[in-house]
Formats: sequence, structure tokens, C-alpha cells
Amino acid sequence: MAATTPPKVVFEHEGVFIHSSPDESEDQDLISGFLRIVEKEGETLVEYKPLEDADPSNMLCACKDSSSVVEWTQSSEENPHRPVDHQLSYETEWDMINAVSFRRKVHANGDGGSNHVNEQNKRAFSFNVCDLRSVTVKCEGWSYLTFRLKDGTALPAIHFHQGGSKAFLDSLRKSVQINESPDDESVLIVSTYSKAFSQSFENLLDDTNYGFVQQKFKKDPYTTTLGGFSKVTNYLFDAFRAPELECQQRPAEEVADVLGELIPGLEINQQEEPGFEVITRLDLGPRPEMQRTGPVTMEEWAKYQDLEGRMTNLPHLKDAIFKGGLCHAVRKEAWKFLLGYFPWSSTHEERKLLQKRKTDEYFRMKLQWKSVSEEQERRNSRLRDYRSLIEKDVNRTDRNNKFYEGLDNPGLILLHDILMTYCMYDFDLGYVQGMSDLLSPILFVMENEVDAFWCFVSFMDEMHENFEEQMQGMKTQLIQLSTLLRLLDLAFWNYLEAQDSGYLYFCFRWLLIRFKRELHFQDVLRLWEVMWTRLPCQNFHLLVCCAILDSEKQKIMDRKYGFNEILKHINELSMKLDIEEILSKSESICMQIKSCKDLPHSVSEILGLNTVSEPSAALETSEYGILESPQTSPRSSHRQDHVVSNGHSHLKETTQNGCKVAFIS
Amino acid sequence: MSSKSSLLKVILLGDGGVGKSSLMNRYVTNKFDAHLFHTIGVEFLNKDLEVDGRTVTLQIWDTAGQERFRSLRTPFYRGSDCCLLTFSVDDSQSFHNLVNWKKEFIYYADVKEPESFPFVVLGNKLDVSERQVSSEEAQEWCMESGGYPYFETSAKDATNVAVAFEEAVRRVLSLEDRHEHLIPTDTVNLHRKPRSATQCC
Ligand SMILES: Nc1nc2c(ncn2[C@@H]2O[C@H](COP(=O)(O)OP(=O)(O)OP(=O)(O)O)[C@@H](O)[C@H]2O)c(=O)[nH]1
Ligand SMILES: [Mg+2]
Repeated sequence: MAATTPPKVVFEHEGVFIHSSPDESEDQDLISGFLRIVEKEGETLVEYKPLEDADPSNMLCACKDSSSVVEWTQSSEENPHRPVDHQLSYETEWDMINAVSFRRKVHANGDGGSNHVNEQNKRAFSFNVCDLRSVTVKCEGWSYLTFRLKDGTALPAIHFHQGGSKAFLDSLRKSVQINESPDDESVLIVSTYSKAFSQSFENLLDDTNYGFVQQKFKKDPYTTTLGGFSKVTNYLFDAFRAPELECQQRPAEEVADVLGELIPGLEINQQEEPGFEVITRLDLGPRPEMQRTGPVTMEEWAKYQDLEGRMTNLPHLKDAIFKGGLCHAVRKEAWKFLLGYFPWSSTHEERKLLQKRKTDEYFRMKLQWKSVSEEQERRNSRLRDYRSLIEKDVNRTDRNNKFYEGLDNPGLILLHDILMTYCMYDFDLGYVQGMSDLLSPILFVMENEVDAFWCFVSFMDEMHENFEEQMQGMKTQLIQLSTLLRLLDLAFWNYLEAQDSGYLYFCFRWLLIRFKRELHFQDVLRLWEVMWTRLPCQNFHLLVCCAILDSEKQKIMDRKYGFNEILKHINELSMKLDIEEILSKSESICMQIKSCKDLPHSVSEILGLNTVSEPSAALETSEYGILESPQTSPRSSHRQDHVVSNGHSHLKETTQNGCKVAFIS
Repeated sequence: MSSKSSLLKVILLGDGGVGKSSLMNRYVTNKFDAHLFHTIGVEFLNKDLEVDGRTVTLQIWDTAGQERFRSLRTPFYRGSDCCLLTFSVDDSQSFHNLVNWKKEFIYYADVKEPESFPFVVLGNKLDVSERQVSSEEAQEWCMESGGYPYFETSAKDATNVAVAFEEAVRRVLSLEDRHEHLIPTDTVNLHRKPRSATQCC
């Protein structure tokens, strides 16, 4: 095993392209190739080779038949008659329906082929990651990366027409530390000191930590000066180094410690470092009793709509939905507004047009995967994997529900088709387990493929980070939740800490799929519509977690539950929770926190209370109303037009979810 | 010393959909739920059983098989006494992935002596008629990989499920007996608490 290790391919992605002419001219040639990260004698190399250049013996999953290259060809909307290679007759058909198609490109045949090879040879490049200075990430519907070396060389841009840029960067992060440049988030700077630091950590910690730290740098107004910046850097490096050393001597059975390292912010939070905010015991004052009301009926809903169909008096309407939810009959229409698929201020006419446009768009994407032949799919491992996961999960999602019961239920087919189409909508993310749980209630309510898809897209915009490679969304939320719990009940928080459970791993399922598995189906519908009003504060779902834990904490402490028992106890709460009780308690907690005078900055940040001077419910609601009119809710306003999603478009999202537990001086 | 082996931690690993949760449920509750959800996060169930006159509590851990959730599940590998590598006989991919699961387990469980660690291999969904992995093929892999016991199971009709879990327990116990005088520390302690402490459920 040891001694001279043969080169090891740690990352490989086929279907990346170099554009032969740098300008955007129509007839530029796309040179298809593959990108690899190879470990060779302790060095890490990044290699790009055009396909014909490949040495198949080196490839992990090389396409055996190099004459059949699966190539992604997109005909743009503006250019329906873009010239295409008419080698194969069916391509013209694809072109006419203006769809994205997979086509076989025959390269190695004929004379032109060999010229091609020579031309492409020149395009191959390889460099040691130690020589890499920065990577620029740009997006034009697909992502493309430009590498700049320390000697100033800029290599030709690598276009990820078939996704994979994120996976590549994630893989690159395992060998070098890359951080967003403080002044341009599309530029990733390679750090020199990082390699030794990250190696012993394996991929669990280093890169994810670092991403997290980076986010804070950008968002924390207190650390924008260089001084503040370096202070935080040193502090964090110390904080992260300590457990690294310990790591080697630690007894194997400390599951808890490993989990703690996974969610590093918590440790930082706990250290009472001078100069950083420390949340100490605060008298929160009494918790007001909140009353819930009945759901909004069809008649009531209709009263909020003007003659042209615009929704009016939004603050009042949202408040009513928050307080009581919706009658089932209203959901089909109301959810489209709540999720931001329909703008609140749109008219009937506008919505009809919107739906028409969205229908076309949906079916265009659906056609993309529908038209992939079996043979093509055999060569597209990512699509194949997505499909296989989706098929497995669709069969295991809400099968007790009438809508998805039995064999060959149309509900199952729709669930499958929408998830497959979502893969085309966001190929980088594709399908991740848990997404079927998020779609199922939406489809159940919409009873319409296209509407369900677009509502799901909106919901996914919010949940996207939970499912990304690094699960940053999950980490952020767990840290935020810990901050809130600590404020609400220090004794319980300390108890969890003492049981090595302070990082709240047992809330993972709650947060990943927004309580979908914890509540009865009908109650999930209620909870979600209440949450989608964005009332009465930001991240209300974290207060829902607090409310549930608040009801369980006495039991947990009295019975002296340890690490395993806590996990088991919380897992077994599933389907035993009372939604109305939880909602009123969550609201009570919110009111209690809002009326607290010296709220730690970190807490007001999480709940988005910093802009509100007076903690009055009325003021709060009207403010939301103003903010949103005439747009949709502030969280989803930027998403409407984000048809092509690729991870980068979600940067803004984190700003609102961002938390600054330990970084405020 | 008898309290030492009272709690054994076994972990089910394998690709998504091979039937890990179904096997666990079949064994612990003797039920097969065709409407079962796919697993999100980490779960475990306890079951008391007697093997060769010794009473043990088996703590069976079940996780989600998808790659994405690796960082969540791997911390729970630590302290495992046995690992049940699971594939489905109607899915050759899941069989070929066993080697990766084994690697992942050894790495994250921080197994000191991988050669002697008790793995048990389960080929599930025996009741399905379209097989993609033959018994011979699976047996051969088990032999080559370290002489692991191999069981073909069906969570659906309960074939071989109890036998497989019992074999896992036997493996652990016999290994512990062998090491009794060498390793005085316990192997299952997860949370710095004495092992004989009352177990919930
Ligand atoms: N025919 C048959 N089907 C089975 C058997 N065991 C499980 N299944 C089915 O296979 C599917 C997957 O089973 P699960 O137990 O959910 O699989 P898992 O390994 O826990 O999957 P993840 O939770 O996604 O990691 C379900 O639809 C089960 O009903 C079996 O022995 N025979
Ligand atoms: Mg499972």
C-alpha cells in the first residue's frame, strides 16, 4: 500500500468544454474534454484533456467507446434556428421544438478527426495546485471556471455544460483551501498555508469550517476592517487547531466529539473569548399566552381579492393565515402566492400569462430527460444515479396517503416526473434524499404537475442549502438553534452539553425537511403555510424547534437521558406532536424574545429583529406588508427569474439566514 | 465482567434502498412495512436476546445510504462492535459498493485491527425473483475479503433475518472472549457513562 503510490484520480468529470474562440460568436467550437484532479507522489495536479487525448487506462470510469460522446447542445430561445450538425436526421426535430437534446457527436471518424486531435492537443493543460493562485467562477446558465496561476498565467475557461463545477471545487478543497475573495465573491483565492492544516482533518471539517468562516467575514459588519478580519482569523485558527491535535489521541468511541467538530461554530460559541459576544443568563420575562384562530375560509380569502384579482390588505391576510392557517379548499390558490409563484399584486390576466409561460418552460425541461434514450443514459452516470434514487424514494414517500397509495398510482408518477424535471432545472443539485418529502405535500395540494413543480422550485430555493454537498444550511441552522436554546433555557442547554448533545444532531431530520416526518400529513400542511407567511419573525421554524424541545426538556432531564436516549426520544416524538399547541407556543416564545430589552445581537440577527425598534406585533406586520408590496415575500423576490439555478444564486439567501454567533465584538 | 457485554452496538451499512431499515424492523418488531419511508438521519432500535446462554442487548443502528449524508452518519460508526454490510441481491451495484462501505466503516469507526473486525454480509431481498448477484459471487467476495459470514435474507418474508443478527452477536462475543484478557476497557461506551447504566427502552 505504502512506498511509491501510483497516481490516484481523486476527481474526474467528463463533459467540460473549452470554447475555441473566447468571444461569444455563434460558430465557436466547443472542445469537449475531461477535468481531473490527480494525486501523484504527494502532489496534487489538476489536468484538463480534450477527449481524444485521453488515455483510457487512466480513467476511473472512462467511456470505452470514444467515438460516442454525449454532448449537451442547447438551442437558445432567441435563436431557434441555430445551425446544427445535420449528421443525424432527428436532430432537426429537436431543433424545431427548441429543446435541449443529447446528441451523439462522431469525432474520431474521417480526416477532419485527426486535425481535430492536433488542435485539441494544444488545449490540454495540467498544473500543480500549489501553483494555483485563484479560480474565477462565473455563471451563464452553466458555470465556467478560469484558473489563474501564481506566475500570472490565465488558463482557458473551462465550461461545465453538464454540471459538476461544484463537485470539482469541493474536490479541490480537499487539497487546497479556497476562499471567496473579500471584494469579489466570484473569485476564489487559494491560500498557501492551508494544505497542512486541512490534511489531517480529512474532508469532514476543514473545508466546511472554512466556508462557514468566510461567510461570516462577508456578513459581519463588525469585522470589515482589516484589523477585525485578522483578529477573527487568528482566533478561529486556534479554535480549530486545538481539536485537531486532540483528535489523534481521542478514544475511538467518542461519537459526540466527532459530531461536535462537524458543527464547529458551536464550540466557538461556547468559548468565552473576550471581545466576542457571550450570551449569559438573561431574564426574558414572562411568556405571553398566544391564541390560535380558525383557518381562513374561501369566502374570507375572496374578500382580500380585488376585481382584477390582485390580493389586497396583505398584512391583515398574512396575519390571518399565520394565526389560523388555511381551509384546505383555499390552499391550492393561496400556496401559489405564499410560495412566491404568483406575485401578490398580479391580476388574473397576468397570472394566466405567467402560468402559460411556466407551463411551456416546464415541459421543455421535462422533454429533456424524457428524450434521453436508454443508451444515452448508460453513458450519463449522474442522470442514471438521480433517476435510480428518485425511483427508490418515490416508492417510499407518503405511501399511506391516498394520493400516493397502491401500485401505479398517478400521484407516484407525478412525484417521479417532477423530481426528474427538477434535476434538469438544477442539475448540479439533482436529487437528494429528502426532496421527495418536500414535494409530496405540495403536489398533494396543487393536484397539478406544472403548478406543483414551480411551487416546489420556490420552496427548494429556501431549502437548497440543506441539500448541498456541504450541507451548509444544516450547519447554520443547528448553530442558530443552539444560540436560541441557550438564550431560552441555559440549564437545559447545559444539560445537553453535558450529554455531548449540544450540537443538536437529533434535530437533523426536523430541519432538513421542515418537520415533514414529525407531523401528520395534514399538520405538515398547516405548519408550512404558517411558516410561509414569514411571520412573526425570520427563521420562525427554529422557534418551532425550541417549542418542541421546551415541552420535552423536563422529561429528558428528569430521566437523565444520555446521548443515545436523547436521540431515540426525539426520533420517537414523530407523529405524536400537536401542531396547534406547538404553533401557539412558538409564537409565545417569539413574543417573549421580542419584548426582551437587551437581546443579544446574535439572537436578533437570527430572528431578523434588528430593524424593528418597537416590538409591537402590529408594526411588525405592516412592515412586512410594505416590504413585500408589490413584490412577493422578501425571501423569494429575487428567485422568480432564477430559472437556471446553480448554487451561486443562493448566496443571497444565506445573508438572511446568516448568523453571527461568536463574531460580534 | 458480565455487564461488559450486555450492550452490543451493530450498524447496518449499505446503499440506499437495499432494505436496511426493513431488516432492522423485521428483526426488532417482526413486521414488514411496505409503506416504510426512506431513512433520514440516524435511528436505532434496541433488542434483547439470548445467544448461547448469554443475554445481550443489541443496539441496531440504521442510517441513510445516500452519499450526501455521509458526514452525518459516519460519526455514529464509532464504538460499533459489528458491522452488517448489506446489499440487495437484485441490485448488482449495491453489491459492488460493499467494498466502499467496508472502507468507509473502517476509516470512520477508527477500527484498530480491520483484519479481525467482525463484519457480516447480508444479501437481502431473497424473495425477489430477478437476481443480479449470485450466491456464489457473493460468497466468493466474503471469502476473499476476510472470511465473513454471508446470509441471504428477506426482510419481507423474514427468511434468515434473526439468524443473521444472532450470528453477528456470536461473532462479537467470541471475539471479546478472545480479547478479554487483553483489553480491559469496554467497547461500547458512547458517552462516558458506565455501561451497566440503565438503558432506555
Ligand atoms: N421484496 C422485498 N422488498 C424489500 C425487502 N426489504 C426491503 N424491501 C423493500 O425495498 C425498499 C427499500 O427498503 P428500505 O428498508 O427502506 O431500504 P434502506 O436500505 O433502509 O434504504 P435507505 O433508508 O434509503 O438507506 C422498500 O420499498 C422495501 O419495502 C425484501 O426483503 N424483499
Ligand atoms: Mg432506511
